[in-house]
Amino acid sequence: MGTLALLGFGPGGWGAALLGAAATTLLLALAGFALGLVLGGLAAAGRIAGPAPLRLLATGYTTLLRGVPDLLVIYLLYFGGSAALGGIAGWFGHAGYVGVPPFWVGAVALGLISGAYQAEVFRGAYAAVDRGQIEAARAVGMHRGLILRRVTVPLVARTALPGLGNVWQILLKDSALVSVTGLVELLRQAQVGAGSTRQPFPFYLTAGALYLAITTVSNLAFARAEARARRGLP
Amino acid sequence: MLAPSPVPPEAVAVRDLRKRFGAAEVLRGVSLTAREGEVVAILGASGSGKSTFLRCLNLLEVPDAGEITVAGEAVRWRQRRGGRVPADRGQVDRLRARVGMVFQGFNLWSHRTVLENVIEAPVHVQGRERAECVAEAEALLAKVGIADKRHDYPAQLSGGQQQRAAIARALAMHPRVMLFDEPTSALDPERVGEVLAVMQALAEEGRTMLIVTHEVAFARDVAHRLVFLHEGRIEEDGPPAETIAAPRSDRLRQFLARCRIGVA
Amino acid sequence: MIDIAFLAESLRALAAGLPLTLGLTGGAVALGLVLAGLAAAGRLSGIAVLDGLARLYVFVFRGTPLLVQLFLIYYGLGQFRPDLQALGLWWFFREPYWCALLALTLNTGAYTAEIIRGGVLAVPHGAVLAGRACGMSRGLLLRRIVLPLAARQALPAYGNEVISVVKATSLASTITLLDLTGIAQKLIAQSFRALEVFVCAGAFYLAINLAIIGLVRLAETILAPDLRRPRPV
Repeated sequence: MGTLALLGFGPGGWGAALLGAAATTLLLALAGFALGLVLGGLAAAGRIAGPAPLRLLATGYTTLLRGVPDLLVIYLLYFGGSAALGGIAGWFGHAGYVGVPPFWVGAVALGLISGAYQAEVFRGAYAAVDRGQIEAARAVGMHRGLILRRVTVPLVARTALPGLGNVWQILLKDSALVSVTGLVELLRQAQVGAGSTRQPFPFYLTAGALYLAITTVSNLAFARAEARARRGLP
Repeated sequence: MLAPSPVPPEAVAVRDLRKRFGAAEVLRGVSLTAREGEVVAILGASGSGKSTFLRCLNLLEVPDAGEITVAGEAVRWRQRRGGRVPADRGQVDRLRARVGMVFQGFNLWSHRTVLENVIEAPVHVQGRERAECVAEAEALLAKVGIADKRHDYPAQLSGGQQQRAAIARALAMHPRVMLFDEPTSALDPERVGEVLAVMQALAEEGRTMLIVTHEVAFARDVAHRLVFLHEGRIEEDGPPAETIAAPRSDRLRQFLARCRIGVA
Repeated sequence: MIDIAFLAESLRALAAGLPLTLGLTGGAVALGLVLAGLAAAGRLSGIAVLDGLARLYVFVFRGTPLLVQLFLIYYGLGQFRPDLQALGLWWFFREPYWCALLALTLNTGAYTAEIIRGGVLAVPHGAVLAGRACGMSRGLLLRRIVLPLAARQALPAYGNEVISVVKATSLASTITLLDLTGIAQKLIAQSFRALEVFVCAGAFYLAINLAIIGLVRLAETILAPDLRRPRPV
């Protein structure tokens, strides 16, 4: 079987499987990014405006998760998660090994990691917000919540967009690490194909090309979003 | 009160305002009353406390002592460790909505168009009908001469246009008093005139205005009253033309000499 | 309940992986810097072919996961064993260590190239003009004005890149190498005490990062004496 047929969509071809796995990769990254958005927003808010213990906790979180290898975090959640779930199941009288769904291990790990980076992005964007515009909002009688919703958050979001684009790129590439849990995302599917056909090179090359396509397209999407968001910004 | 008062009611009244930043005492007991329709120009060297004074009026700065009354409503205070704070946030917001503020740096919201800037507070703070606010905003923008810029973002405007948009934004709240904090100091010299012209038109409408400025000629020609602040105290308070022509204090004389404008 | 004995045992076991982690980091950072210098020079050369090549290299290596690059080199090239043997390169591609070092070098080289390029582009034009005005040659200008200014501009980003390399070395564990993460994974799989092992391994990585941050600070004070704050007396 020729290399092209091997990667094609015909009988015995792996094309459909690889594309499906690429979709899993995208979903995984999206879930991780969404979770990271929540965690990052909370951590940034904690560092900016929280009381001392919360500030310390948020600082510890961002420092630890940005300093420790992502692979190690995935191992922690993969092995530690099933141990913890097993413990909880034990309380309810269920004995034995409890597996955690790899997709959610991956999504939570990527969420934790990207949240730490997103927190830094938000913090930087908040520091860059023009205080005069906040003051103008106070001067027209807006209360705190309204200022946050109508002025601060939109301004922070705009400034944060390029940084969030970077985090998304990192996250997409990091999602390949989740393959160690056995989740059939893009890289894992390539591994499976490589193993069963004994032709690793075309499979990894194809996986690489698909990743490149995804990162390039999302780069363009972020560039467009930035151009839209920059409307009105000097 | 039995007989109608010949003088208009007080728009803003301030008594014995004091404010310190760390070791520096910026306001050392300032008292001032502006009646409705009065235009008060506040002059003073940098560091004289004039901007702080203006910012205290709508509580962007919280004065350490003294009373503030806007349109008959006095700010209520509450003692807290390390000083006092306004007792009621709701009152502060209500008061601010009655006082229009124009900043030196314009401070337009960069993520909203000029029109959106103008209708933002009427819609979201005062809870008025959007359509009504838009119609009124368009009239205000026409009045300050930038109707054609209503769908532009602030960054696309010149400094003078931005400041005129900021004035329209402040007017949209139907304020009882307008505060101007050095409105022309950040402008290119050739843009100063267009903003002063708008302000003069407002003065002629009979609006109550407190203007911190370095434009001595404008103060003389437009204001009803000139107040000169020096080191946190009111040094002179009188009709502009006379006060400028014959300053009683040496400090105002020195200040006017440094301004080097044609005062004649 | 903290099991001190287990933590101590884990730390001892993990320490055995430290030389590999540090060696891969040092090797990849040093070789990557050379590669990045070449790629940045290509991008700034103004020669279309060199610019295009450098651009392609940076695009491909920054746009794909390091793990894919590593697998492509270690497993993928293994498919061409007879050819590599004929070329006398098999000794290299047979060894996971060399493959990991190669992948890490190529990867960090691409990121560092952009950091260097950004630093050079940030050099104020006036400084270059002033150098030319005093009659500096191109080489002298590069050595005395452009590179020192670019280096201090790029230093914070470069410090972050070095820390990413430290973290990236953990991927070597996926091709059988026993670096810090490789040992940690083995310990977790044996003991099922993920959190304790994670804490110990994490402590090693954070210590390494802290040392790097210290070195970057030191380099900053050497490279940017004018920005140095006077010591409080």
